[in-house]
Amino acid sequence: MNRLCDSMEPKVMDDDMLKLAVGEQGPQEEAGQLAKQEGILFKDVLSLQLDFRNILRIDNLWQFENLRKLQLDNNIIEKIEGLENLTHLVWLDLSFNNIETIEGLDTLVNLEDLSLFNNRISKIDSLDALVKLQVLSLGNNQIDNMMNIVYLRRFKCLRTLSLSGNPISEAEDYKMFICAYLPDLVYLDFRRIDDHTKELAEAKHQYSIDELKHRENLMQVRLQDERARQEELEKHKTAFVEHLNGSFLFDSMYAEDSEGNKLSYLPGVSELLEAYKDKFVIICVNIFEYGLKQQEKRKIELDTFSECVHEAIQENQEQGKRKIAQFEEKHLSSLSAIREESELPNIEKMILECSADVSELFNELMMLEMQLVEQLEETINMFERNIVDMVGLFIENVQSLMAQCRDLENHHHEKLLEISISTLEKIVKGDLDEDLPDDLRALFVDKDTIVNAVGASHDIHLLKIDNREDELVTRINSWCTRLVDKIHKDEIMRNRKRVKEINQYIDHMQSELDNLEYSDILD
Amino acid sequence: MEVLREKVEEEEEAEREEAAKRAEWARTEKMMRPVEVRKEETTLTQEMLRDLEKKLSEIQIPISAELPAFTKDTIDISKLPVSYKTNTPKEEHLLQVADNFSRQYSHLCPDRVPLFLHPLNECEVPKFVSTTLRPTLMPYPELYNWDSCAQFVSDFLTMVPLPDPLKPTVQKEEKVLPKKYTIRPPRDLCSRFEQEQEVKKQQEIRAQEKKQLREEEERLMEAEKAKPDALHGLRVHSWVLVLSGKREVPENFFIDAFTGQSYSTQDERFLGIESLWNHKNYWINMQDCWNCCKDLIFDLGDPVRWEYMLLGTDKSQLSLTEEDDSGINDEDDVENLGKEDEDKSFDMPHSWVEQIEISPEAFETRCPNGKKVIQYKRAKLEKWAPYLNSNGLVSRLTTYEDLECTNILEIKEWYQNREDMLELKHINKTTDLKIDYFKPGHPQALRVHSYKSMQPEMDRVIEFYETARVDGLIKREETARTMTEYYQGRPDFLSYRHANFRPRVKKLALSSAESNPRPIVKITEQFFRNPAKPAEEDVAERVFLLAEERIQLRYHCRDDHITASKREFLRRTEVDSKGNKIIMTPDMCISFEVEPMEHTKKLLYQYEAMMHLKREEKLSRHQVWESELEVLEILKLREEEEAAHTLTISIYDTKRNEKSKEYREAMERVIHEEHLRQVETQLDYLAPFLAQLPPGEKLTRWQAVRLKDECLSDFKQRLINKANLIQARFEKETQELQKKQQWYQENQVTLTPEDEDLYLSYCSQAMFRIRILEQRLNRHKELAPLKYLALEEKLYKDPRLGELQKIFA
Repeated sequence: MNRLCDSMEPKVMDDDMLKLAVGEQGPQEEAGQLAKQEGILFKDVLSLQLDFRNILRIDNLWQFENLRKLQLDNNIIEKIEGLENLTHLVWLDLSFNNIETIEGLDTLVNLEDLSLFNNRISKIDSLDALVKLQVLSLGNNQIDNMMNIVYLRRFKCLRTLSLSGNPISEAEDYKMFICAYLPDLVYLDFRRIDDHTKELAEAKHQYSIDELKHRENLMQVRLQDERARQEELEKHKTAFVEHLNGSFLFDSMYAEDSEGNKLSYLPGVSELLEAYKDKFVIICVNIFEYGLKQQEKRKIELDTFSECVHEAIQENQEQGKRKIAQFEEKHLSSLSAIREESELPNIEKMILECSADVSELFNELMMLEMQLVEQLEETINMFERNIVDMVGLFIENVQSLMAQCRDLENHHHEKLLEISISTLEKIVKGDLDEDLPDDLRALFVDKDTIVNAVGASHDIHLLKIDNREDELVTRINSWCTRLVDKIHKDEIMRNRKRVKEINQYIDHMQSELDNLEYSDILD
Repeated sequence: MEVLREKVEEEEEAEREEAAKRAEWARTEKMMRPVEVRKEETTLTQEMLRDLEKKLSEIQIPISAELPAFTKDTIDISKLPVSYKTNTPKEEHLLQVADNFSRQYSHLCPDRVPLFLHPLNECEVPKFVSTTLRPTLMPYPELYNWDSCAQFVSDFLTMVPLPDPLKPTVQKEEKVLPKKYTIRPPRDLCSRFEQEQEVKKQQEIRAQEKKQLREEEERLMEAEKAKPDALHGLRVHSWVLVLSGKREVPENFFIDAFTGQSYSTQDERFLGIESLWNHKNYWINMQDCWNCCKDLIFDLGDPVRWEYMLLGTDKSQLSLTEEDDSGINDEDDVENLGKEDEDKSFDMPHSWVEQIEISPEAFETRCPNGKKVIQYKRAKLEKWAPYLNSNGLVSRLTTYEDLECTNILEIKEWYQNREDMLELKHINKTTDLKIDYFKPGHPQALRVHSYKSMQPEMDRVIEFYETARVDGLIKREETARTMTEYYQGRPDFLSYRHANFRPRVKKLALSSAESNPRPIVKITEQFFRNPAKPAEEDVAERVFLLAEERIQLRYHCRDDHITASKREFLRRTEVDSKGNKIIMTPDMCISFEVEPMEHTKKLLYQYEAMMHLKREEKLSRHQVWESELEVLEILKLREEEEAAHTLTISIYDTKRNEKSKEYREAMERVIHEEHLRQVETQLDYLAPFLAQLPPGEKLTRWQAVRLKDECLSDFKQRLINKANLIQARFEKETQELQKKQQWYQENQVTLTPEDEDLYLSYCSQAMFRIRILEQRLNRHKELAPLKYLALEEKLYKDPRLGELQKIFA
């Protein structure tokens, strides 16, 4: 580990150094001359070699956005840093350095080949982001725990691994263990793993591997379940009726309602509550199903619309392309005719004709575009009307269903009030048979208290229902507005782009003609 | 067991159906086809095809009952079985019944044609028509269904079906319902009046054209129209009727045996039906045929419409349609016997004809002599059996311009079993264009080759099976100045390459075409879209203008754009004022970019692109050159193939496969030799001695002993004789050598060197002979006692000399 460079002065990765390296490693000979003449931008560099330069700290690399291959071997780097911007990196060589921990690689998602040979690493981790990793070289390090291998199981593309020169490679079981735990590995320590070894290893570690696999599978299944649930909820959310396919709303009404909960201990209230809940949930489920149906309808509407628009645009583009192709054919022949013509007046006449052609093409293309704009505008307006109507209808129906909920609540409230008052009367008279919980009994002090308590519970319930309704209405309205806005904006963008494209093309054609004119005049 | 029975039943069923299909109903009829044609035809058949003829005779009963259909010289009557020459009592009875029936019929219907009941067969014996039919199941799958079977039968007659005129299939375009948000079509601002005027004008022109065309056609039709047939409605013909019901036959139909074609019973070319029969009964049509066969009802169980001859099979419908068809089943026949006696009905006797046997050769040959010529209006079709022609020609269709068939319009030749996979050769005589079609498997993956001449650099189109080619070439078109290639499925997405040539520069006469390729003026290449690249970097077309030293690139168009990027490189290398070579200047690359990008403006980028293109240009030029070479190679190969026209022979074809034949013969020879050797080893050493004794008697002991002794002594004598013979030869040889040596010693001085050489060579040869004889003698001496002992041993064990053992036992 003691290298000569330790005694030498560390160098800083500054602009000069980088420029020098880029110049040296850039194109050679004729191309090199051109490169020198123009200068090379760091972001155009694809490969960079910075070895044997006594670098201590990785720095100044942020400009190399498109770098694919970076070699920083044989330096004295102690920490992996400054590589965050190099997201296109495929090959990274950090061998023969003084790195102690693996870090700072979280953005390098495209990395396929990583060499950390001859460093001071003792633990394999922080490589989670490197999903495409194929080659990993960690030889001559200080990895001493066999369990580090298990961490490598997550890299599905890993085919080549080198770990020789680590403390773990001394273990007699080393090779077998790796072969068993990384069955997709093809090369270990620069040697191909033969099938026989693989079989042996598998047989030897079968039990532990099976256990591991089982655990991994369980994990996988759990993750999948979770994801499926999330997706389902997401689907409901897009229909704006999430958590309405059950008693969630009802439960939430009672979650913050202490009075209501207390009152439920009154005789006869629990049955009442049960019936109320059943009816309430039925309405909720109605809303839910209606919402899903409406969502489906809206989706179909939107799909039809986008399909039609797409078709229209395609058709229009085809027409445009045809026009241009026709024009180009004619234009090319007339251009060559001009080139062959020697009489100056004739040339001028022909050029004039040509430019007339160009402007005619411009008119044609623009007319096509304007036509499309008009057509699309009409269609978009129609779609907007329809979707707004749909949303309005949906809201209306949901509101009427919600009103039913409220009616239920009111009904329940009346019943509860009745029971409460009769209970109060009983308590006052002192002929209450059952025992009531103390905190409930505390409410039955006088009529006002109990009425207030029941009223408070009722208010909370109504509030919850109102809130849910408001949320739904607001969200669907905002969705609708956003959608329509987006469609308009997209159309405008499309139009702008096309007009720009046409103009650019026409300009090009015109300038080509002008050039011809000049050159002819010069001749 | 159950399965087996089912199978048997199936076979029986198939047999019956076969009969139903093939020979169910032959019947007399008024038709355009005279009977004589068929008779002529039958004289053509060879002895080898006798069986087939018989089959025909069963299906196509001659109409004229008095004339035997077969002349005696075509068929060897003596070889036919007895049933052909005589009638069984039952058949006699049947004939009487038929006569009676016929008499009654002619009495009742005096104005109708006499019935066709019992024509004379090839042995001039009257046979009832139904008995000429014998349901038979043939081992060829092609004969199992009516269509291919009818085709096979028709191949033996002069008529072959006209191919169905290809009807153009009109594809109805399904009208898609306009979707909700389909954009409105742009407003049509054209004048409707003008359009209408235009349409009117067009219509007028078209009407005029049509009229002219029609007149022309009419004129032609007039010329070609056949004269009206004087005998219309009087001619007779017989054909096959297939009734619906069994074997998924949905409705009744006719099969014309001459053409093998099926016709609907409504077809107006069939003018009427007199009678019909199968192998079980005979029916007379009592319905009016004024409207051809269109109104006929084929319910044979209806005695008003169909007068039957035999009562035995009076079932509501033809027995074919019934679930348990018991007519042929032997067991059922036995069962029915009693019933029939009661009904006084008469059972149709068993057919007198032999089962048809068609040898595989005859089946393959199909037509008599393996060749057949059919004349059509303005066309001639010739057919040959496979392997008959050495170039594999199986059929040829020649179409003519005129009715007299003198001016050939085009010739189509179909081939089979060609080694070069040639399938069809189409020669258009008017344009002189030849088109060869190939099946998959040509060494050069050829599919279609159309050409006017086999000379290179002429107009030609070659199509390939692109999956069989590494470079994915589909088509190569050539004219005198251009070559166009179409590709598919290449990893570099090349789809099209077009090369323009300049006429070859005159060079020394010595240089051949290969060493002096035509100079290329321009190469155009087009590419499919490569989805891995962004559109503005994916070249759609590149044009190498070799003469002008220019390279033009056109890129693919992005999905949402209507214009595509373009780039043009001038690859002239120039020298600047200081004499330095200019590497790259901005005016060497003119580019139009849909979305201008920074890095493409760089000279370095342009330089690298140009370098790349220069390399590509070289490659493309090379490719064009190679294509030219390949065309030459293909032409050479085609010429060779045409000259050789070898045929392939399936390894399963044991008759024609020479290799397997040789192998088989070799195997047979080996077996034969082996057999001979075995016979030799079993030579009977006792035979000469046993022959002296009276045959068939058991040997006495004394005889056995004597026999043994004689045998042994004889053998001993032979051994001694042999030894003596060798001894004698040895001595003679030795003496001669001694004499020669003596002579040599005497004349040694006077001998010429040649004589000496001669003497020496003689000596060495003689010495060799003597040595060999000596060896043989020694060997014989050694072996003789052993052989003697072996024979003695054998004799002891010989069962015929068993007496000997008894003594010693």
